[in-house]
Amino acid sequence: MTKMDKILPKSSFSRWLKSLSSMKVFFPKKEASGWTLTEVAADGTIPPDYSYAVVPPKKLIFPQEEIFFEFQQTADDGLQLRETLPEVPPQVIVGVRPCDGRAVAALDQVFSGSFEDPYYWRRRRATILIGLACNTPPSNNCFCLSLEGSPSSEEGLDLLLTDLGDRYYVRVLTEKGGELIKTQSSLFSDPTEEEKNLRNKISQEGAQKIKRNLEAARELPPKLKTMFDSPFWDEAALSCLRCGICTYLCPTCHCFDINDETRALAPLKGRRVRTWDTCQFPDFTMHSSGHNPRPNRASRLRQRLLHKFLYFVELYDRFQCVGCGRCLDLCPVGIDIIEVLSKARNHGA
Amino acid sequence: MEHNVYLPRIGQIVEVKEEVKGARPIKSFRVQLLDGPIFPFRCGQCAMLSVFGKGESMISISSSPLLTDYLQFSVLKMGRVTSALHEMELGDLIGVRGPYGNGFPVEKWRGKNIVFIGGGIGLAPIWSVLQTTLLQRADYGELCLIYGARTSHDLVFRQELADLKAQIPVHLSIDVAEPGWSEFVGFVPQNVLDKKPSPVNSIAITCGPPIMIKFVIKALKDLGFEDSQIYTTVENKMKCGIGKCGRCNIGHHYVCKDGPVYSWAELKQLPQEY
Amino acid sequence: MVSEDKLREEVSELLQEGKIKYFIGFENGGPGCLARPAFIQQPEAVGRLIWSPGCVHNLTRFLQDEKRRRAREKNPDLRPVGLIVKGCDSRAINVLLQEKYIERKDVYLIGVSCELMGVIDEAKITRRLYPAKPLQVKFGAKDTILVSTDQGESEIAASEVLADRCLECPANFPLVADVVFGEKINKPNPQPYKSIASFEAKSLEERWAFWQDQFSRCLRCYACRSVCPMCYCDECVADSIAYAVSADTTAEEKAQKVKWVERNPEPQENIFYHLVRATHLAGRCVDCGECERVCPVGLPLRLLNKKLEKEAKALFGYEVGFDANLPPLISCFRDNDPQDFIR
Repeated sequence: MTKMDKILPKSSFSRWLKSLSSMKVFFPKKEASGWTLTEVAADGTIPPDYSYAVVPPKKLIFPQEEIFFEFQQTADDGLQLRETLPEVPPQVIVGVRPCDGRAVAALDQVFSGSFEDPYYWRRRRATILIGLACNTPPSNNCFCLSLEGSPSSEEGLDLLLTDLGDRYYVRVLTEKGGELIKTQSSLFSDPTEEEKNLRNKISQEGAQKIKRNLEAARELPPKLKTMFDSPFWDEAALSCLRCGICTYLCPTCHCFDINDETRALAPLKGRRVRTWDTCQFPDFTMHSSGHNPRPNRASRLRQRLLHKFLYFVELYDRFQCVGCGRCLDLCPVGIDIIEVLSKARNHGA
Repeated sequence: MEHNVYLPRIGQIVEVKEEVKGARPIKSFRVQLLDGPIFPFRCGQCAMLSVFGKGESMISISSSPLLTDYLQFSVLKMGRVTSALHEMELGDLIGVRGPYGNGFPVEKWRGKNIVFIGGGIGLAPIWSVLQTTLLQRADYGELCLIYGARTSHDLVFRQELADLKAQIPVHLSIDVAEPGWSEFVGFVPQNVLDKKPSPVNSIAITCGPPIMIKFVIKALKDLGFEDSQIYTTVENKMKCGIGKCGRCNIGHHYVCKDGPVYSWAELKQLPQEY
Repeated sequence: MVSEDKLREEVSELLQEGKIKYFIGFENGGPGCLARPAFIQQPEAVGRLIWSPGCVHNLTRFLQDEKRRRAREKNPDLRPVGLIVKGCDSRAINVLLQEKYIERKDVYLIGVSCELMGVIDEAKITRRLYPAKPLQVKFGAKDTILVSTDQGESEIAASEVLADRCLECPANFPLVADVVFGEKINKPNPQPYKSIASFEAKSLEERWAFWQDQFSRCLRCYACRSVCPMCYCDECVADSIAYAVSADTTAEEKAQKVKWVERNPEPQENIFYHLVRATHLAGRCVDCGECERVCPVGLPLRLLNKKLEKEAKALFGYEVGFDANLPPLISCFRDNDPQDFIR
């Protein structure tokens, strides 16, 4: 479908969101610890100090806990499995930063392919993403421009809002997004030339404010391919604590674990549950024999970076990093992947 | 909607055989699916077997795809799930998901000689290929099996091996001499060098402990085999079996989906991280 | 005031003379205003070392990696590791010495006095200076913090932006060290448990509701445990991500391992993990505050640990990390201990 541009005055924003109340609406909320996307009666517009949601929107499409099925031993010593595909009412996520939208597009690739993941897709298809362009970078560590993204990127989103001051410039990107406008079309008007220019100006200024840069990112995959056995990773991983922050809070990371939880033994009753997992935990790849192909932090850091900047590129011709800056903001010991990758690119040169 | 890839089908154990007793026991299970015939599969493919309440384990299918009555799995007791499998008896129900993996390219080997080289439980994945080639004997050249284990008690498919000797050369070995053992004494790679299989128009398939595979490949190369003539299977910790949970990757390959079968030429191109 | 130059000189000498294997200190850490751990192996690299109010980390945590390294190596280098310790960090050293996790000769401690200051809370500074973004912090002349932001320089009262734990600090001067920089100044601590006072005033129902809500947000990233110097167990009872398995572990042992916590992040599992961890830290936690600082979802973990610290003091007169010669609290019994069930 062709994209459509509209203007929505901020004074009408609440009314529009209220009209969506037949769906679940997730809206940015400020907590003591940072911003979250919560189901809250949206009152007013997106606060001007909104940066990004610490836990990315992936949590609403690929939740940290997904129950696959329940199992039960039956009276005649049989076994019954009850599939528990999620019943997901339509959900709207408001305030998705463009990098997080691109991240959802990357996850879409992972969960399709030769085996489609029904749990992911039920949630994904029920989700409408309303993006908010970044007039200023949400984080000091944003570097979306280096990775083929931008503060006004449209990939993965259904609608993209740009804050023009007292109104939003609304770009409709998909049919799903278009449906949201239709019901309240009287609130929306067509943009004037001035408004279009203002939007472009704001987008450009937003891009110029991004301070951090990972130069020549496309040179990384071939360089990293030569560095598998390099001692470079030992030094880079010296302060790593092997927690899961970088991966759990990353909008593109998707590693998971599957475990059976027994609720009763006789008769047997329980469920099979998927949970988030991370390649940074020591036992992630440990065989039952005790052999571990990634026995130390260096090999695990190497895996994280090579997965994102080499293997994913080999598989899908895109980076598995959108430059959101969360891992840089939140790493307890300040491991900076821009720095590490820049050093890697220049290593041995 | 397609069948949910994470939902197992229920299978019933129709035969249990104790292959190896003792500290590292191996049992073979033949399984039929309750809701219909077994799924078609290729030699070298695997299935995720569920013991509900304990978890899943990826086990290679050791029966031939030409046999459609049952799926056979030979399981080494190793940890939580395999211990639970070993407790199971005739008639017990398990979950089966599959088939997964790329399988051996047996169609490409028509007319070639095949050398099967196994160690311990490693005979299981190549047994599927071996049985298939025997069932389609005219399609293949010379076949031979070189197989060994630590002791004579650790050899699997003992009865079948005895019967097999009537059909093709079978060269067995154990690590240390035992009273009554008249065949080769030593490690499997040494037996390979001793029996000198010819690389001419040949394929070699080898499975077993990683250290054995390493030295078998070296022995085969010393005998003149090219990297592309040598095939093996790789093992890694697996959970989803479908290339999504991110756990079993070697480089950009997921062993559960793009493997577990690799020629040495292919495996050399991947990061040595397994 | 602590002189950064003198600090660098000391470390350079130690490295040149081969007295230490390597040095763990602080360096500038990117566009946030906190420092980050630095591992210095060559004397030429000491220029990286800094001492600022952003040096929040408890570097004793890295002694775990050193110990594991030694266990793996055939002929390990047994020279001490050098590291910077603040007062709170030095208490952690004492606990590790009490528990015989390390020996005194394994570490060369360069103590730094916080004098009347402490380290900052990055969130407080960010809020205080919004919309300017803080980029670097330095100690001001007296009771102030100098902040460089993306919109210019700022000088603010330290009391507004110091970490909560620094406001009730019982140890502003290192208790154990080989050399100390900075003066020993007595810092009065009239309200040592101020941060838990208002919480203690809540009813049990209010407290339980509070924790149920808080722990519904826990991601079980285990950052709290990963950053704690005292959480050094190879295999943690309160989780299942690291098993001590070797080729000799039998199938039965693996099959019979008890899973105390499920991997799912439902509140009851999260509560179990956190309460077990807090209990295992009773009498061992020195309130370095790192667990709370690193939590990406802002769980108020200090409340749990501080409460148990207060209990240890009230019940057993025990203060954590002040005397390396005392036996660890929960592994000894003294005649004047309050309960008599064991007599």
